[in-house]
Amino acid sequence: MLGDVSRNLVELVRRHHALDAPTALDVLKEAVELRGEVTDADRREAAARSGLPEAAVHGVSTFYDDLLQPRGARHVRVCTGTACFAATGDAHVDALRSAFGVGLGERSSDGSVSLAETVCLGFCHSSPAVRDGDTIDAGPDVVARVLADACVAAAEPAWESTLAEPVLTRPGDWSGLARVLDDGVAPEALLEDVKAAEIRGRGGAGFPAGVKWGFARASEGDEKFIVANGDEGDPGSYIDKYLMERTPERLLEGMALAGYAVGASHGFVLVRSEYPLSKPALEEAAAAARAEGWLGDDVRGSGFAFDVTVVEGAGSYVVGEETALLACLQGLRGTVSARPPFPAQSGLHGMPTVVNNVETLCNVPFVATRGADAYRALSPDAETAGSKLVCFNERFARPGVYEVPFGVSMRWLCEELAGGLRDGRTIKAVQIGGPLGGILPAARLDTAFDFDALAAEGCMLGHGGILAFDDRTSMRDVARHLLRFGAHESCGKCFPCRIGLQRAHAMFAGEAPVEQARLEQLLETLELGSLCAHGGGMPAPIRSLLKWFPDELGLA
Amino acid sequence: MTRVAVDGIDVEVADGATVLDAARAAGRWVPTLCFDERQAPFGACRVCLVGVEGAPAPLPACTTPCRDGMTIATEDPAGRRVAAAVVELVLSELPEPPAAHTELAQVADALGVGEPRWPGATHAPQPADTRHPYLAFRHELCISCGRCVRACDELQGTFALTATGRGFGANVAAGLDEGFRASACVSCGACADTCPTDAITEVSLLP
Repeated sequence: MLGDVSRNLVELVRRHHALDAPTALDVLKEAVELRGEVTDADRREAAARSGLPEAAVHGVSTFYDDLLQPRGARHVRVCTGTACFAATGDAHVDALRSAFGVGLGERSSDGSVSLAETVCLGFCHSSPAVRDGDTIDAGPDVVARVLADACVAAAEPAWESTLAEPVLTRPGDWSGLARVLDDGVAPEALLEDVKAAEIRGRGGAGFPAGVKWGFARASEGDEKFIVANGDEGDPGSYIDKYLMERTPERLLEGMALAGYAVGASHGFVLVRSEYPLSKPALEEAAAAARAEGWLGDDVRGSGFAFDVTVVEGAGSYVVGEETALLACLQGLRGTVSARPPFPAQSGLHGMPTVVNNVETLCNVPFVATRGADAYRALSPDAETAGSKLVCFNERFARPGVYEVPFGVSMRWLCEELAGGLRDGRTIKAVQIGGPLGGILPAARLDTAFDFDALAAEGCMLGHGGILAFDDRTSMRDVARHLLRFGAHESCGKCFPCRIGLQRAHAMFAGEAPVEQARLEQLLETLELGSLCAHGGGMPAPIRSLLKWFPDELGLA
Repeated sequence: MTRVAVDGIDVEVADGATVLDAARAAGRWVPTLCFDERQAPFGACRVCLVGVEGAPAPLPACTTPCRDGMTIATEDPAGRRVAAAVVELVLSELPEPPAAHTELAQVADALGVGEPRWPGATHAPQPADTRHPYLAFRHELCISCGRCVRACDELQGTFALTATGRGFGANVAAGLDEGFRASACVSCGACADTCPTDAITEVSLLP
């Protein structure tokens, strides 16, 4: 039997879940909220209440950022994401550190204040961002407001569609599920529609959603699950955040349709804890949907049963990988498992599970309402079907979330739609699709925004975040910033990523020259050896920098 | 049954067998560090990379299922190059070279990996944890292969051990990191038996 997440622990979790026991992670999160840290007494309590062995609970408690950074009476979380780095070069981090007299991850000796690092708060349109208690503030003067204890909630970004008829930025209305149930569309027929629509996964890998659903539908299991991946961890991306907060009913409808097509009666959304407004928005929408009969034991009298539970993560980038996400959902350490088995065969609680990105699921209601042909027609000039949400960082003149067709040029996106850079700055390079995506120099902006065209440039579409570095940015600092993130977020499971990213970061951390041959050997080891896309993908932006900005890297 | 060819040797393996199973059935050596045939494959060490015809890059033998007609090359140049580079990285995280009798030292030898060329952080040396009468812990020698944790889980069913931390700080611990004695450990010794580095050893009672 393949599959390395402990089958014994998964079975323990499944049996306790059936008895409504909390997960160990739930209990540990409560402890941090209450007491500002996790003690051994908390770990013992978590073991007793969750049914997980004490050692396993200890393992969980040493994995997640939220459980590891102690909290003072006032807990200040500073965003160290790439958009904030591009805005200030980390000056906001240094300013807070020296003003509070505590380091990142530390609490003052009198317990009055603590400073924690968080990546990222999703306010990349208004960097830098800081979360002070429950308030997320952002913008150039945020440090002054934090120090004056006068934080205000940051302004929300633009949320617009460039399509003649918006698809993803419109509020959801359950019309897709209504059509399927009212017209008596068979689950198999809906599955065929989704396959015909060629919805590619929007979380990074671009895998066809319909194919994934087909595997899960064909798998044997007493129960099946739909899991929405709301762990939008890519620094610089804040698309799923606003899908969850502004159109949560569209996501819930997409999940219900997936459940109908696959034969699942329960769904989970795993929302990252860096987005404190997302879980309440989804829960409110779910409660409204239950009241209106769109969720529940007998949806609109059709006999179809589907409901959704919203679960919050605890600070880990790699939990965005689907096997790690399922481990987190079960309250275990968020480490990656080798596939096969794929989640569609053996996922949550060992049952067939569809794991789709939030935006992917938000595409489904349109297909259910209007059909596959209309969906494919949304991007007439591209191979890829449907539309895509993109978002821009604060360096741009008009940052925000925009719905666009595939196939437009990166230049149009950056210079027309987002208006070029602010303050008379010029684009030096853009990183697309998160920290595992390549970096496109300004000279290559005529590249089309689509899966294959970006791949040909060593880039990827990823989540759709577009992050500009302006002409003042040191590309060696970019490499250092990205590799520091990569090393910090490595789950520690596979050896190349666990040790290799540490070594890669060390190569750029000081001022010493970087031995290019050694670096390239290390990148190959990461690319070919890593277990998941984290270690496998971190070399991509470094390769871009080697190609386009070799003179800035201090190579030897 | 599934038929595959390993380095030109035809072998039949049970359906569901892995490429590593097939290589071993063919009598071909594939380096491994996190694999123990008594445990489910883990896929963490990435030194068992082999060539599979038609695959664009080497694949981990321990977690790749055999397909009928598969052609496997255990000495794939890219696979071996990466395996050696990974072993060098592993040696670089230890504060001292592994003892010659350990599996890690033997795999490093077989792959021709000598002194690691990576300066920088190693696991911090600390006094051996000898609070348990039969089992000694040296955390700085741990390479997070997970074999001890899985032995305790899958073979003994005791769950006294866990992986801890993440990234370069990953390690293992017994119970709430209070040592074996205060944990649920039943002193079976399965962890020490499988450890490839002497991070966990049995304390010999005989002279």
